[in-house]
Amino acid sequence: MSAKAAITINLPREDVERRWTSSAPQIDGDVTFKDAPGDRGTEIHVALDSGGGPIDKLKGTVPLATAKDQLRRFKQQVETGEIPRSEGAPEGESVGRKFKQRPAQPLEEAGAR
Amino acid sequence: MRANVWSGRNTVQVENVPDPKILNDRDAIVRITSTAICGSDLHLYDGYIPTMKKGDILGHEFMGEVVETGRGVENLQVGDRVVVPFPIACGNCWACKHELYSVCENSNPNWGLAEKAFGHGTAGIFGYSHLTGGYAGGQAEYARVPFADVGPIKIEDDLPDEQVLFLSDIFPTGYMGAEMCDIKGGDVIAVFGAGPVGQFAIASAVMLGAEQVIAIDQYDYRLQMAVNKAGATATINFGEDADIVEQLKLLTGGRGPDAVIDAVGMEAWHGHGAIAAVDRVKQAARIESDRGLALRDAILACRPGGIVSVIGVYGGLMDKFPTGAFMNKALTMRTGQCHVQKYLRPLYEHVKNGDIDPSFVITHRLPLGEAPNGYETFKHKQDECVKVVLKP
Repeated sequence: MSAKAAITINLPREDVERRWTSSAPQIDGDVTFKDAPGDRGTEIHVALDSGGGPIDKLKGTVPLATAKDQLRRFKQQVETGEIPRSEGAPEGESVGRKFKQRPAQPLEEAGAR
Repeated sequence: MRANVWSGRNTVQVENVPDPKILNDRDAIVRITSTAICGSDLHLYDGYIPTMKKGDILGHEFMGEVVETGRGVENLQVGDRVVVPFPIACGNCWACKHELYSVCENSNPNWGLAEKAFGHGTAGIFGYSHLTGGYAGGQAEYARVPFADVGPIKIEDDLPDEQVLFLSDIFPTGYMGAEMCDIKGGDVIAVFGAGPVGQFAIASAVMLGAEQVIAIDQYDYRLQMAVNKAGATATINFGEDADIVEQLKLLTGGRGPDAVIDAVGMEAWHGHGAIAAVDRVKQAARIESDRGLALRDAILACRPGGIVSVIGVYGGLMDKFPTGAFMNKALTMRTGQCHVQKYLRPLYEHVKNGDIDPSFVITHRLPLGEAPNGYETFKHKQDECVKVVLKP
């Protein structure tokens, strides 16, 4: 089963392609870039080789969900310079954390920076 | 530090929790000098917003003094006095570049969670469930402020906290509600709800040139504040007369208000009869999350071709949305969590110029340790409560 995802980055296409190449998110599938209309930046389209099976679902490693995380984190990194982290989700966007949130109160350990 | 945390439905408690730390370069830590309980905190308190977790620090209206900054924060210095907007916004994404800060595309690390509920994620919000990021809130002694180079506004004069604190949420929220009405000369604006946000919506509608502003609530003390402090020209107490739509028509020569602001949201209490009863049962049974009484009446009351401006908070689904009235009367609906960052500077100028003193809504001042009492007093409208400010 094929699986697709897309995201738009608020930067020109050459910047997006350069940053994608240098950060190289691990995505098994086809990745294409396209100018978004007007002032909307650049679209990234991903078609995964495999949509994953029931075992992946049980393990929480469905390729599509993982790819979406990677797209979101790429967008955050290139647009803002960082991965936004909350007290409830200190690693930032992550499918594994989605339903296993920490309470929204400060962490005991020091910041990772 | 001490912080007010959510411990389950109708329960908050002030506990010792770890101090916040810088997690990212664009973070700052603020020592909180004033914080407030918002009407929308009551939706969390009452358990109607999903994805709350025991131990979540509440609070999204706060201000204080910068005590630490990350490497990426150059606009703030330690010692600066700041008001912090409730939506967390990166300033870089397409939405932020178009001043749509409350739908920032990057600040919510639980975007995927929110996407399931809303189709898209929305901005992170302090202390406002994990759907909006799982950020620790500001009813505490300290808070970590992400993207501190974008959000907080420096207060560089000696205006007291109470006059600038509400720039964090309720003043801009009320203002945006009025602005969305596209007020023109001669307009009559009706405001459902004379709580703190409703008061600022009324005051803002007056500032923006409304000819008449009608305040609607069930508590006389709130309606009196709306007239005496916010500038409402007429009131409807639906406790005395349940038919708000008919009353609004009588007050407008049968036309209906040119625009109607819903400053109530998902826990509307007015309404009698079968539909209201069904709503209450469904919401209590968690079948329907949003009780739509105010919004339904807003749509029915608005004049044909008018605007329905929704700033009351909704969280999920409501039943019996009057699509027929909405469509056939050619209404426009405008809505949103407030894009506070857009309004901070101009509204701060209004406060500095003396055009408005937002402290008029404050009825209760309590130490942070009294937060649980503050929630109960506010929820049950005891002691003529309109707005509770907490001092850490």
